[in-house]
Amino acid sequence: MIRSIKFWAGCIVLAALIGSSLVHQMVFDSKIKKVPVLYNDKGEAVKAAPLPASPDMPFGTDRQGYDMFAKVMQGAKYTIPFAILIALQRVVIAFFIAIPYAFYFPSWARKGLEQLLSSFYYVPLTIIAIFLLEPVLVERIAGEKEYFTYDFSVRIFLEVSILTLLVVPMVSVMIGNMMTAQLKEEFIQSSQVLGAGKIRIFRKHVVPHLLPKLCIVFTQQCVSVLIIFAHLGYFKLFFGGTDVCYTPFCDIPPQSISNEWSGLIGEYYQNIFAHPLIALGPVIMFGIAIYAFNLVTEGLQTHFASGKRKRTYKKEEKEDTIPAGAEQFTFINEKGA
Amino acid sequence: MAILRKMLIQFLLTVVSIVLISGLPDLFLTKNVSSYWEKIKDVSVSLLHPGHLQYIPFKQPRPLFPDFLDPYFYSITILLTAFLLAFFLAQVLAWMTMTLPERVRAVIKNLLTLLESLPDLLVFALVQMFIVFFYKQTSILLSDVASLGEQRIYVIPIMCLMILPFIYFYKMMVLLSEEESKKPYFEFSRAKGLRRTYVLLFHVTRNTYETLFHFSKTVLWFMISNLLLVEWIFNIDGITYYLYSDFRAEIMAVILVFLAIPFFVFFGFLEFLLSIRLRREAGA
Repeated sequence: MIRSIKFWAGCIVLAALIGSSLVHQMVFDSKIKKVPVLYNDKGEAVKAAPLPASPDMPFGTDRQGYDMFAKVMQGAKYTIPFAILIALQRVVIAFFIAIPYAFYFPSWARKGLEQLLSSFYYVPLTIIAIFLLEPVLVERIAGEKEYFTYDFSVRIFLEVSILTLLVVPMVSVMIGNMMTAQLKEEFIQSSQVLGAGKIRIFRKHVVPHLLPKLCIVFTQQCVSVLIIFAHLGYFKLFFGGTDVCYTPFCDIPPQSISNEWSGLIGEYYQNIFAHPLIALGPVIMFGIAIYAFNLVTEGLQTHFASGKRKRTYKKEEKEDTIPAGAEQFTFINEKGA
Repeated sequence: MAILRKMLIQFLLTVVSIVLISGLPDLFLTKNVSSYWEKIKDVSVSLLHPGHLQYIPFKQPRPLFPDFLDPYFYSITILLTAFLLAFFLAQVLAWMTMTLPERVRAVIKNLLTLLESLPDLLVFALVQMFIVFFYKQTSILLSDVASLGEQRIYVIPIMCLMILPFIYFYKMMVLLSEEESKKPYFEFSRAKGLRRTYVLLFHVTRNTYETLFHFSKTVLWFMISNLLLVEWIFNIDGITYYLYSDFRAEIMAVILVFLAIPFFVFFGFLEFLLSIRLRREAGA
C-alpha cells in the first residue's frame, strides 16, 4: 500500500477531472450552459458575452456565451486518458527495445546505438511534431470542397503513434542504460556464478528492480505528452483534427472537434489581453493536470525510497535477534580440557 | 581527439535523422512511398548546396542564405543567454538554499514542484500580462511586449525562456547537493574541521556537475521547443519566421541542422572539460 499523501492527492485530482467529465457526459449529456446575455433581477440586460469569471462560472464564458469551465471539464476525458495512453505506449515499447539492448548487444554496438538515438537530443520535439502532424490534422481545401486527408479514427491513430514513436528512441536508451547499470550489480554477478540464465536474471532480478523506476518514467512521460499537447494546441493542431473555416470573411477561429484542451488553447489563446481568464482557463487546467502527475511522481519516489529503507531495517533486526545465550558455547575451563 | 570524432559521428547521424524525418510529411500527404525517397534525395542534394536554397517571404523567392544568418544569430544569442543565466542563477540560489535548515528546504522543494508544473504557455502569458500591468500602474515600460520590424528585443524573450529552465536546474541542484552531502566524504571533511560552506562550494558542487551535464541536454532540448513558441508569441524575427514562412522539407532540414550546430560545439566543449577532469582524477 502506498502511504504517500502526495501520490494519493495527485491520483484523486486526476480521477476527479476524468470522473467529473464522464459524469457531465452521462448525466447532462455534455450540454454546455450558454449565457449570451446576463440579466439582472428586473429582467434588464446587464452584460453581454464574454462574461467575466463568477462563482457560477469560474472561467467566465467565451464570445458565444458558452460556459468555459463546462467546456474545459468536457474536454478532460479526452486529453488526460490520451496523454496516459501515449505515455504508456512510449514506456512499454521502449522497455521491449531496451531488453535486447541491455542483454544481447556487445558494448560497442550499445555505444553506437546510444549515439544514434541520442542524436534526437538536438532535434526539438515540438518543431518535428508540428511539421509531421500538420498534413495529418489540418483540414485542406481543393476547389470548393474542404476535406481531411485521413478519417477521424486514422487521424487519431496517426497522431498517437507519431507522438509515441518520436520519443521512443530516447526513452529506450534511458531504460536500456538503467538495465545495464542493473546488470553490473554484484548480486546479479553472483547469481550468474550460481548458474542463472539470462531469462531467470531478467525475471527475478531485473524486472523487480526496474518496475519502480519505470513507474516514475511513465508519470514523467505523461507530463511531457501534456506539454506537447499544449504546444500543438497553440499552433492550432488539435487532437483529432483541426476544422478550418475556408469560406471568405469567416471569423470563427479554427475549431477543435471535441473541446479537448489543446483545441481550447488554440481557440482562446489570442484573447490573452482582452479576457485573460478565458484564454488562460485551459492552460491552467493543463497546469493542474501536470502538477497532479508531478505529485504522483514524487509520491512514488518517496514510497520506493522508504521501501528500501524498511528492507534494510528488517535485516538489522534479524541480526540483532540471534540468541546470545550461554547455550551457544561452552567454557573451556568447564570442559576440563 | 576521441571526443571530436565522437561529436562528428553524432553530428552526421543527427543530419541523417533530420533528413529522414523531413520526408515524412510528404509521405503522409501523398501516401506514396516512392515520392518519399524522391523527397529525401531532393533534401540531401539541397543540403549539400545550401547556397541555392530559396525561401518565399512575400510570394517572391529570395535566396535563403545571407538573409537567414542574421536572425539565426539573434535566436541563438537569446537561447544561449537564457540558458547560461538560468544555470548560474540557479547555482547561486542552490548554494544559498543549501545553507538553510532542512525543514525550510523541504518547503522550498515542495514549492519548486508546484512551479515546475507551470505550463510554459502560462509562464509566457504571465510575463506578458505582468509587463502590461506594470506599465498601467507606473507608466514605466519595462520592455516592449512585441517586436516590430527591425527593432530587436532581448529582455523579454530571455526572461520568458529562462524561468522554467531556472526552476528545473534549481530543483535538480538542490536534490543532487542533498544527496551528495549524505555521502561519507562530506562527513569526513566536516569532521576534519572544514567549514560547511567550503565543502559545499568546492567539493559537493564539483561532484554534481557530471549529472548536471547530462541533465542540461534535456533542458536545452526543452528550451529549443520553447524558443519556437516565444518567437511566435512576441513576433520576433528569428529563425522560426523562416520555419513558418515556408514549410517545405528542405528549409525545415536546413534550419534544424543549423539549430543543432551550436549545441554540438557547446556540449562537445563541455564534454572535453569533463574528460580532462576525469583524466586528472584518474592520474591522481
